[in-house]
Amino acid sequence: MKDVFTRRNILIGAGGVAAVAGAVVGGRYVFRKRYAPSPYDDLLAKLNDRDAAAQLGESVLADSDDFDAKAVADDVRARLQNKTLVQATAVDAGEGRVMEAGGWILPETLALLCALAAKAAS
Amino acid sequence: MSAFIDARNVPSGTVLEPDLAIIGGGPVGISLALSLANTPLHVALLESGGMTFDSKTQALYEGARVGAPYLTLEASRLRYLGGSSNHWGGWCRPMDAIDFEERSWLPYSGWPITKKDIDKYFARAHALCEGGTLLYDRAGKYASEMGPAIALGDGGVTTRWFQFSKMRGSMLPTHFGDRYADDLKRIPRLQVYLHANATRLGLNAGGKNIDEIDVATLTGRKFKVKPKAVVLATGAVEAARLMLASNDVVTAGVGNEHDLVGRFFADHPIPRDTATLVIFDGKLSPYYTEQQTFRGAILRAGLFPSEAFRRANAVMGSSITIENRVDLDDLASAAVATTAAAIGVDAGDAIAFSLGCGMEVTPDPERRFTLDTDKDALGMPKLKLHMRIADSDFAHFRQTLKELGRQLLESRAGMLRLNLKTREDWLDGLDWGNHHMGTTRMHADPRKGVVNANLLVHSVANLYVAGTGVYPTYGAANPTINLIALVLRLADHLKGGLR
Ligand SMILES: Cc1cc2nc3c(=O)[nH]c(=O)nc-3n(C[C@H](O)[C@H](O)[C@H](O)COP(=O)(O)OP(=O)(O)OC[C@H]3O[C@@H](n4cnc5c(N)ncnc54)[C@H](O)[C@@H]3O)c2cc1C
Repeated sequence: MKDVFTRRNILIGAGGVAAVAGAVVGGRYVFRKRYAPSPYDDLLAKLNDRDAAAQLGESVLADSDDFDAKAVADDVRARLQNKTLVQATAVDAGEGRVMEAGGWILPETLALLCALAAKAAS
Repeated sequence: MSAFIDARNVPSGTVLEPDLAIIGGGPVGISLALSLANTPLHVALLESGGMTFDSKTQALYEGARVGAPYLTLEASRLRYLGGSSNHWGGWCRPMDAIDFEERSWLPYSGWPITKKDIDKYFARAHALCEGGTLLYDRAGKYASEMGPAIALGDGGVTTRWFQFSKMRGSMLPTHFGDRYADDLKRIPRLQVYLHANATRLGLNAGGKNIDEIDVATLTGRKFKVKPKAVVLATGAVEAARLMLASNDVVTAGVGNEHDLVGRFFADHPIPRDTATLVIFDGKLSPYYTEQQTFRGAILRAGLFPSEAFRRANAVMGSSITIENRVDLDDLASAAVATTAAAIGVDAGDAIAFSLGCGMEVTPDPERRFTLDTDKDALGMPKLKLHMRIADSDFAHFRQTLKELGRQLLESRAGMLRLNLKTREDWLDGLDWGNHHMGTTRMHADPRKGVVNANLLVHSVANLYVAGTGVYPTYGAANPTINLIALVLRLADHLKGGLR
């Protein structure tokens, strides 16, 4: 199923997620966080802090009018098939594949993972 | 030693007949006069101000501004002997070869000379700026004792070096007026007139030669100078004003047959806090944030786009400086922790800095000065600045910053956040270098430039313009040392031609 985001939807979504993320960050060290299952949990497991990544991912989503989560997940899965995240991000940086998230310059694979984390949290 | 002459004591009606008149006693006028010291030329240097600041003289620099935000015209320069070197920062750096080149992607680019043409004058220019041992990018070799350069790999941005004019205790760098006053007084065939304002460049009836210069003092004295040749060394803004206002023979103004005088004005925008630099291991060598004195020079490192990167990506020049330490907010901390983990480094000791910069702007004929209806105390029309800055200029610099961010990730040394995105972000708190350039551009073709490769006005046989006004494109290097090299080249030309 194609998951098309309009900028407006994303912004409305992002506001909601930010509030949730705030609560999560506040309670991070008190409760072990359980996440609702998402179609890309296999990918999100590679992040050391899903909530932090989701915060960054909000900005990636806000900047893309048309974010196709399934296609992105497939793409990231392919990139990570024979590589660790460390290896994939090194290739990204070496080959000039970087993206902006809230102004931060990130390796593309990481930025897309962050966007998926934000998507999963929404 | 001959004392300077106070023009307020020169009887009205006096006519001086030197070989050469230099109008303006800033770094350019002074360097030129010093370079002609051992020639048989009789030189008169006309300086508007005295030895110190005077508010009535300074007010002669007032003018109007419209358009994009910019400094007031009287605040961004000083009108007394030494000119703006009385409050310059002393930052020096040579321009790059690419700055002189015609670039297909950059309209109006291409100097009629190359970097090589002024290279041989650079050491002497550096000495006049009292820059100490000539090191610049060789400084890296010696600086490693103080700590390593930021690991940036082979990318588009590299560490390069600024050098500084000598400081004297708490005093700012070389003030050319104070520093060279005695040397000027020792030159036998030089007469320096203080409080002497050139108010008109008088063309002959055919419009091809400057026959006379009108000079006025704020006390009402008026006299004339009838030189064989004239060098206009009043700075870019005032040179345009004198040429446009001297419109009694050629109505468009001296040298303005092709409507170029006053156009293509430029300065280096200095947006604040353009980016946040994070260094993962918390170690940054001190020469990035503070001037360091070593090997007989005062130096500071900056980050610059390489010539190859500029060519390949069609971006303008820029310089990036690392400024003060900053704290990271929650989102920034999340970004650092997430990225460090993803690229496999420890960022437990990470520190962050705000980045400053100096940007080159693209040449724009509509960023220009015109004569205003208001007049100054000497009856000269004031100027009006039509200021503009293109979004593409900010975009060029953003591209360079993005490359720096990429390189930091590739080398796993750190990461970068771009802090400015919209035009409003860039313009908010935008400062400027006070580097006035481009009003009397240099070009081999008279339809495209006011002066030729020898700085001679195309349409006037004996008028030279020496100043950053002749820069057709601007680079990102601090202009003065390069300008002085260009002026020393002019001195050689004059030595050959005026004997
Ligand atoms: C705040 C500030 C900081 C700067 N920092 C740096 C820096 O760190 N590095 C760098 O490279 N550059 C710097 N600059 C720029 C530098 O000061 C100029 O490039 C340099 O002074 C230009 O020299 P000039 O002789 O062409 O012009 P000016 O210094 O402007 O001198 C022109 C002279 O002409 C005189 N004059 C003007 N009109 C007339 C007239 N009608 N008749 C007679 N005399 C006249 C003036 O009184 C003045 O003395 C800075 C400038 C400012 C304002």
